[in-house]
Amino acid sequence: MITGERKPISEIKEMIAPYRKVLVVGCGSCVAECAAGGEKEVGLLSSALRMDAKAAGQEREVREMTLDRQCVYEFIDQLTDVVGQYDIVLSLACGAGVQAVAEVFPNINIVPALNTTFLGETKEAGLWLENCRGCGDCKLGFFAAVCPITRCAKGLFNGPCGGSRTDCCEVDSEVPCAWQLIVSRLEATGRLDLLRKVHPPADWSKQQGRGPRKIIREDQRT
Amino acid sequence: MDKKGSDVTVSVFFCRQLDPNQDVTRRALEKELGKRIRFFPLPCSGRIDALHLLRALEAGADKVYVVTCPEGACHYREGNIRAKKRIAYAQSLIEEIGIERGRLELVVTSAGKRLTIDELTRELLGRDDKGAKA
Repeated sequence: MITGERKPISEIKEMIAPYRKVLVVGCGSCVAECAAGGEKEVGLLSSALRMDAKAAGQEREVREMTLDRQCVYEFIDQLTDVVGQYDIVLSLACGAGVQAVAEVFPNINIVPALNTTFLGETKEAGLWLENCRGCGDCKLGFFAAVCPITRCAKGLFNGPCGGSRTDCCEVDSEVPCAWQLIVSRLEATGRLDLLRKVHPPADWSKQQGRGPRKIIREDQRT
Repeated sequence: MDKKGSDVTVSVFFCRQLDPNQDVTRRALEKELGKRIRFFPLPCSGRIDALHLLRALEAGADKVYVVTCPEGACHYREGNIRAKKRIAYAQSLIEEIGIERGRLELVVTSAGKRLTIDELTRELLGRDDKGAKA
């Protein structure tokens, strides 16, 4: 899941300041799960913006809308007959969603209301943790499904640094030591032999070496 | 909020467990105050969401109360604690747009004296009237 957090209202107000008609568009996928950009958050932000405009004696129309996904054309298309009626679109999607909408409507002003943060999991209600960097060369199979690049503060590939205390990272005592988790889980599943493998440094060219990445699947194309 | 006590419009979100007879007890006050008061009974105060509070303010409420059971006495265990957190979130949001956080208020009822919802609301309104006159 892609996580995000709402920008401060002052920053959002600055972006929409010159415009009278604002369309606030949420995304019902990842950012809804992390309580940042779903239907409810669209309602909260829109209410706040309307009250703010009223208090300032400004005329501002704020309409709310939430798409199931803002990163897929079939869903973005729901905006086709709507966006033209507004001066600006305030998107509560992740950065990918904002850009996807902007690609479809290049003549419309689109600005983000969220700061896209990381790829993570919902650990418990109200707690989201980063656990994937999208490196393009997944090695979770060797590490008992614990990513040492993301979850070890030092990104170590070949064993722990030795600095952990009571199973937690020396960098942040509230974060479990990724290598403690890896070893414990490998032990529990009888795969300690995997620790004998020496891993070369990560190949970062698969992440950012050649600019923005793309995936092409001919069988999926029309 | 510049309005005087008797002009203030109030929304009251409250836990139904506080006053099992709330359907009846709040009627007289609703008749008396008309559009100045709106009650929103909840199955538990933990059902409250920041969105309810903002919508109430946006709809014209000058003051929004969320009335919960006494701490440690939630019928469903800890709904009143969740209500407290959600009010705090909504307060921080309205503060960002320059609205005083005091427009949203958590009222934790006392474990000792059990009041009906109309008695409790009259107490709150009386307190606000005194504040406005002072």
